[in-house]
Amino acid sequence: MQLFFLSVGFGLVTASVVAIASVGLTLQFGVTNYVNFAYGDFLTLGAYLTWTLNSAFGWNFWLALIAGSFGVGVAALIISQVVLEPFVRKGGPLLIILVVTFGLSLILANTILAVWGADYKQYNVPLENPISIGPLLLTADQLGIIALSIAVMVAIHLVLTRTKLGKAMRAMSDDKNLASVSGIPARQVTALVWLLSGVLAGLGGGVLALNVATFDSSIGVTFLFVIFAAVILGGIGKPYGAMLGALIIGMAVELSSVWIPSQYKLDVAFVLLVLVLLTRPQGLMSVLGKA
Amino acid sequence: MTAPEAILSVQDVRHAFGGVQAVNGCSLQVPAGSITALIGPNGAGKTTLVNLVTGMMRLQGGSVEYAGQNISHWAPDRVARAGLLRTFQLSREFTKLTVLENLLVAATGQIDESLFGALFRRRSVQKQERALVEKARLLLSIFSLDDLRDEWAENLSGGQKRLLELARAVMAEPRMLILDEPMAGVNPALMTRLEEHIRDLRRQGITFLIVEHNLHVVERLCDLVIVMAEGKTLAAGAMSEHRANPEVVRAYLGSGAGPAE
Amino acid sequence: MDTPLAYYLANLAVYFLIYCMLTMGLNISFGMTGILDFAYITFMAVGAYVAGVVALGPATLDSQMTYILGLNWPFPLPLIAGGVAAGLFGALVGLLAMRRLRSDYLAIVLVATWSISWNLASNFTGLFNGTTGLLNVPQPLATNFNADPNSYVYVFIPIAAICVVLFFVVAYRIERSPFGRALRAIRSDPDVAAAFGKRTMRLRLQAMMMGCMYAGLAGALTILYIGAMNPSAWAIVETVIVFSALLVGGRGNVFGAILGALLVRIVIIEGTGLLPQVPNHPELLGALRNIAIGVLIIIVMYFRPQGVLPERRRRYELKPRRAQRVREAARDSA
Repeated sequence: MQLFFLSVGFGLVTASVVAIASVGLTLQFGVTNYVNFAYGDFLTLGAYLTWTLNSAFGWNFWLALIAGSFGVGVAALIISQVVLEPFVRKGGPLLIILVVTFGLSLILANTILAVWGADYKQYNVPLENPISIGPLLLTADQLGIIALSIAVMVAIHLVLTRTKLGKAMRAMSDDKNLASVSGIPARQVTALVWLLSGVLAGLGGGVLALNVATFDSSIGVTFLFVIFAAVILGGIGKPYGAMLGALIIGMAVELSSVWIPSQYKLDVAFVLLVLVLLTRPQGLMSVLGKA
Repeated sequence: MTAPEAILSVQDVRHAFGGVQAVNGCSLQVPAGSITALIGPNGAGKTTLVNLVTGMMRLQGGSVEYAGQNISHWAPDRVARAGLLRTFQLSREFTKLTVLENLLVAATGQIDESLFGALFRRRSVQKQERALVEKARLLLSIFSLDDLRDEWAENLSGGQKRLLELARAVMAEPRMLILDEPMAGVNPALMTRLEEHIRDLRRQGITFLIVEHNLHVVERLCDLVIVMAEGKTLAAGAMSEHRANPEVVRAYLGSGAGPAE
Repeated sequence: MDTPLAYYLANLAVYFLIYCMLTMGLNISFGMTGILDFAYITFMAVGAYVAGVVALGPATLDSQMTYILGLNWPFPLPLIAGGVAAGLFGALVGLLAMRRLRSDYLAIVLVATWSISWNLASNFTGLFNGTTGLLNVPQPLATNFNADPNSYVYVFIPIAAICVVLFFVVAYRIERSPFGRALRAIRSDPDVAAAFGKRTMRLRLQAMMMGCMYAGLAGALTILYIGAMNPSAWAIVETVIVFSALLVGGRGNVFGAILGALLVRIVIIEGTGLLPQVPNHPELLGALRNIAIGVLIIIVMYFRPQGVLPERRRRYELKPRRAQRVREAARDSA
């Protein structure tokens, strides 16, 4: 029973990590209409930039995280404008841009490897004892992750409902042609979505690395499928769906370790992903109706 | 008097997407050997109906009968193999295939179209290929496209692509052919040629259902005109009857052009 | 024949032949049919592992490995088993995944397939000996020819060459057949292909199976030559590299596949392999090479998406008598 509650606790943390990252991916897909196979490497970049600020320059982890995430946002913005948008403008079949994102993934992952090396890294964070909250047992850092995730979800909700950018994003996600005909500046909105997507990926990568303690340059790619699972479960392009999907996937992944050896934890996410794609590829949100 | 039998019979067919009831209990009959038109204002559901009949979209109600068989839930490839073929509103030629290959691939019932055939039945396949190439080239000559046979189909002009759409459909030896706006954006000279071809093909026994906006063509070419509006059949008969029918006039005037043009 | 250079070149020839199998296979599933098989390298692994456990004897304590089967069958059975197993696995994945998935969702399912397979192979040591992998796989005909390690390559070259030439002919036949033409139609527009009676699901499945079988044979040849296989040989990057080879050489035609194998596997990979390592950073050279490949993919996709050897138009010539009939018909309709 104790293992069960421990897992529930971990499930909340994992769900928080997945949520931050999934919302970034799903918002970007909603506006651009293609999957970014290099997204996992944005996560990795976030983890490493945070590490540099934290370990090399001695910043507090959370400050390093915020700054590092903005770094990833800027990188995503630049990459989208320099590499991806030219292909979008050129037209051509979907498969070409998917292959390009695949190539981009190769470049990013190996650039990170070249710059930072192949050894495992850790963050410079104080060692703490777990705190008891009811039946759950979590460290302060893990609570921080959950708090950050909630803050991010609220912020995204406010952006989507209260700002012009948010409304433009929702319009473009629903119907791109109609949106541009209605005077929405597609180019600018797309650029801003990439920036946002990068920032969220950076945040997600940093908290992911914090949660797993030691990491190397493959961290983002390995986690990408968990994010895909959450995004597709929730309905691709639907941010609230991604949040729900993240909760379900996060819980499922952690709770599975009660019954299955923990090295197969992530495989649970992949299997869920495959099942969802085969049975209900449009996701859950189409049932519940909201975007 | 006995009316010719209906080769296609649509009964109370329904389909909605995203809250819009595109086809709302539509019924019609196409007599065998006829050239029948399907007209109606934009948004009446004509192309959706064609998609439903040919299996590209799923029926949410009603049934479709073709040549005595219930094809309501057949997959599109099965419908095609039964001899019911269609063309598309925007020319959809196979890119990265030549004009000739577009026709060759259209022929149904080829014995080699499987892995096994590609590897093990070469002699019979080669014989079939020669016959198909000859037939395709004869067809291309009739449509005056033979000189362009080795061009990438995507490089053809708009008018040539229209001819290719029709030639390709004929290559598949249809019993019935549904043409989706074959005259859209076509110049008058080409229009006359297309009409000629359609009449020739009807003489050879093919039934036509033509979705069209150009009412002059419809009047010249078609024996029977079915009017569709708001997802339902409004009336079926000759153009003169429709012009005198206040419901039809209202359906058209309600969204722009009227049948009196 | 005995110089290090000759040995190096002969070795390179084997790797080139094996890579041609990989690119020719991907050309069938992706090049001709348009299936985004981002799991492609998984099928190479299946072929390698199956060939390995068929060729090896039963796992004993002595060998310090754990794996399934262990049939100790003689060559060419392991090779055939590898190809067939990969083809069947490809058909299974295809059946589950290709039912109604649009291309990017299908790509995601396939990458997930790679990931699950890779994790299983690495963690479930009872299958194929986990991360250490299979070792000491007997090389075909090694004992018959009594070859020492240095001259074994000359025994293997004909084996690989015969296999590759045979499957080159198969690929060429497929390309020029009505089956190949139907695949290209499906690649172009699956809905219209169906509207003309093509059984698109069945045809795509056959293409997928063929492509995977080629990958399996490549894997089987690899493990039979090198004698070993482990998960590090089939990381996700390897699929990207095969794609890049095919895209650069020219997809949709078997000659493009061969050229791509030459340009990417031999020129780029071997070429950069000759550069000196940077001290203290053993991973740097490999990383730079992968970056170069990624950049190459993007540049090629932008400036010459059809590759160096694009698909050619095919002309169908008629014998005189049939040609005459066509000319007469053209005259009559003018």
